[in-house]
Amino acid sequence: MSQPTLAHRARRLLSLMLACVCLAAPLSAYAFDLATLQQRLAQTPSLAGKFTQQRRLADLGSSLDSSGNFRFVRGQRVVWQLERPVEERIELTPEAIVNGSGDRTPPGGEQVARLFLQLLEGDWQALASRFEIALAGNAEAWQVTLTPKAKALRERISSIALDGGRYIDHLTLHTPGGDTLAVRLFDQHPLSGDAP
Amino acid sequence: MSSPVERPPSGTTWRWLGWLWLGVITLCAVWLAWMLRHGLPADTDLTALLPADRQVPLIEAADRQLGEGFEDRFLILLHADDRVAATQALGDALETLVDDGQLARVDWRELDLADADPHDWMGAWRYRLLTPAWQQAIARDGGESLVERALRRLFSPAARPDPVADPFGLLDAWLARQPQSPIDAADGLLTLDAQGQRHSVLIGRLAGSPYALPMQQALHATLERFQQAHPEAQLLRSGLVFHAAAGARQARHEMSTIGAASLLGVLLIIGFVFRSPRVLAQLLVPLVTGSLFALALTLGLFGRLHLLTLAFGASLIGIAIDYVLHLQCDRAIHGRAFRLRRLLPSLTLGLISSVIAYVAQALTPMPGLRQMAAFAAFGLIGAWLTVVLWLPRFKLHANPFTARLAERWWRLCQPRRGLPPWLALVLALGLIALCTLRLTSDDSLALLNPSPAALMHDEAQVQQLLDRDTGSRYFLVRAADTQALLTRLAALDKRLDQAIAAGLAIDYQSLGRSVPSAAEQDANLARVRTLYGAPLVTLIDRAGLPAEIAQAARARLDDAPRLTLTDWLATPLGQLQQRLWLGQTAPGEVAASVVLSGARSAAIADQLSAIADARPGVVYVDRVARIGTLLGELRRHTAAWIAAAMALMTLALIWRYRGRAWRVIAPPFGATLIVLAVFALTGVPLNIFNQLGLLLVLGIGLDAGIFNVEYARQPSAWLAITLSTLTSLLAFGMLAFSATPALHYLGLTCLIGLASVWLLVPWVRPREPTTSHPQPEESPHA
Repeated sequence: MSQPTLAHRARRLLSLMLACVCLAAPLSAYAFDLATLQQRLAQTPSLAGKFTQQRRLADLGSSLDSSGNFRFVRGQRVVWQLERPVEERIELTPEAIVNGSGDRTPPGGEQVARLFLQLLEGDWQALASRFEIALAGNAEAWQVTLTPKAKALRERISSIALDGGRYIDHLTLHTPGGDTLAVRLFDQHPLSGDAP
Repeated sequence: MSSPVERPPSGTTWRWLGWLWLGVITLCAVWLAWMLRHGLPADTDLTALLPADRQVPLIEAADRQLGEGFEDRFLILLHADDRVAATQALGDALETLVDDGQLARVDWRELDLADADPHDWMGAWRYRLLTPAWQQAIARDGGESLVERALRRLFSPAARPDPVADPFGLLDAWLARQPQSPIDAADGLLTLDAQGQRHSVLIGRLAGSPYALPMQQALHATLERFQQAHPEAQLLRSGLVFHAAAGARQARHEMSTIGAASLLGVLLIIGFVFRSPRVLAQLLVPLVTGSLFALALTLGLFGRLHLLTLAFGASLIGIAIDYVLHLQCDRAIHGRAFRLRRLLPSLTLGLISSVIAYVAQALTPMPGLRQMAAFAAFGLIGAWLTVVLWLPRFKLHANPFTARLAERWWRLCQPRRGLPPWLALVLALGLIALCTLRLTSDDSLALLNPSPAALMHDEAQVQQLLDRDTGSRYFLVRAADTQALLTRLAALDKRLDQAIAAGLAIDYQSLGRSVPSAAEQDANLARVRTLYGAPLVTLIDRAGLPAEIAQAARARLDDAPRLTLTDWLATPLGQLQQRLWLGQTAPGEVAASVVLSGARSAAIADQLSAIADARPGVVYVDRVARIGTLLGELRRHTAAWIAAAMALMTLALIWRYRGRAWRVIAPPFGATLIVLAVFALTGVPLNIFNQLGLLLVLGIGLDAGIFNVEYARQPSAWLAITLSTLTSLLAFGMLAFSATPALHYLGLTCLIGLASVWLLVPWVRPREPTTSHPQPEESPHA
């Protein structure tokens, strides 16, 4: 690393000033908004952890349960490693979805993958073009609800809920048919090796 | 109408003939007006010029259908650093054209996920559709090997599993083999990622014809404004509308530069020489009546006209300007002493020799050339009749300046020595040798394509980025009914798959890939029943689902309908393939095309032809190569016919002029050889259009040769020859500067050829007065 540049120093000064302003302001006025949440999530550029995924199928009255671990590098990819009941490595990037088994993605699969990635990133700007986004809670325990804007998308997704604190802990997707996809992320820890 | 200056040669009979001719022309005009009340019945298809062949109409139909999708829509690819803002600006600008009613719609925003989701409408057919890989897997072990893959799919976060309707993901596997659009969504925009670059895609649909000028101008202005506001944005355009607009702009531009320059040139020259605006009008009357006469008779004879016939036929009638100029020069110089009788033999000989050439052309088996020949011959006859019957009766003021000019010009252009015949022969042989050694030919489609290179480059790049083919290569498959056709398509697809697996670098789009035959669909359903036996039980068990799901899944197979071709073509995916289906093409015959894309080479073409030849009802068609072949065929026929016409003319002239015949044929033949030699030396390839230019050179050169020998001592003849080559040079030679290849080649030939005619004439002029002339020469200076 080279020594701090002028811009670097200016930015540090600015954040110091911002911090002073924040401390000076009454605590109740502290606004926790989507931008702040996105910044907070972005503080962890890459992380790894475990997941359980439960897909409840309303018509059958049963569910498809799976579990495994994941690695997430912000802005680049998610590696979704299924361990049970079948082993499969799925890598999602903004451009493609790559299966370990080399199966070709079904049509529309890329779009689902991109949505999944945007949700994990908390990329609200990208999501705002298709969803109404509502935020509740505070920095330690927040909930985000996304509702599709377009009728065509509402026929597929009725709502998506995210909640968490430092990281995203739960992602739940509801369909109009009553099916839900619930993903729980746990044992999450930053990947120090990838930290800049 | 009778002129006070001179009298028609033989009084009342002549006058009566003149009135008769007026009656004929009036009749032609009235008949034409009646015929054309619904517009000109004109062909534009190049193939309409060629002999009819049983298979051609079907190929034409396939060609048209494959090209249709490109007529009423356009596509713009936009690449810019600030892509989202730039695309937004262009998209909004185009939306205003939709509001104005110039465009029907513009698609450029990201479509929603659920748009056109095949799962919504393909559901019921999926149990009868299997990819070859799945068929093989089920044949191998009943489908046990498919269980693992189905499990992975059920638990993928990106999938939407439905364990009852489709536990194995039959539909996804089948859809993955269907052609997919490379256009995707990103940043809320339609996006194409190809070759390491991200482009926005804007697709426009026209509200009307791509040739509508207001729409073209509005679209052009919108894009220009956008480009000025976003100079860094890179636009790639594709669509007929851009080519049509470029063509219209180019035509307007050339009309105002080349057209205006040549018109001004002709006006200045004729005005300078004759000092009378009337001569100009009289110059046009024979051309107009000739064209009228030709149009009426050709239409009457053929029923239809090809646009090419009209364009080149009208140019060939330009030869008739010779008759007018010779007559008018003679009248302007001799005034009262003018006698039509003296000019008539040469005028007649000029006409006969040209018409002989066209009659020879009319005997070829090519309908296009026959039409063109008939048009030109009728036109020349009509113009000649007008010149002979009407012009002498029109008033003409003989300005003494014209006579002085002719005299001075004649002295100025009299070479000290003539060209000896042996030298002419040696030179001719030398040029012939040069031509046979160096001359090349070109029959490529580019000749017919007037679009600017930049637009063609854009078009090629868009097609390449989209990995799309405009349907320029395809198999035409025919069968007695739809089921037989589907079977044939499936067999052809299988053969192509083998060839591709063996390294043939192509891809194809076939209805056979989408719609299996009824028998195949029944077999597929039986295979799925096998798969829904033990493998389904294993899958349900390993997924941890209740066992009764297997029974529910099996129940779905009981009323699985067959996918018919009609069903498929009505689906959103099938609509993309409608262009492949030709439907019933004859009683008891249906047809479809299989469009090919990918690498091109002679070896690949041979392999594809061989595949087609080996199966019944399948033909391989390469539109580009086919049009090239057609152009080549036309060119060779024209060349053969020009050679035959030259031989016939030579015979006719030897019969009349004996030893002096070479002096008559030297200007036309010499000019032809010079044109070909210049082409050979500079590497300009020979094509159908410069050959048609040669016809014009031959006709004008021959008239010049005849008058040069007949009236060797008369300054008026040399003035007329000069004027006719100069005006034709201005009218046709200027086209050499056109950016349209066809016109450019025609013009280039005329430019070189007519200049050569003019330069050759003085060198072969006889020194002594004509003796073989049947009529005694009347010298005005005597």
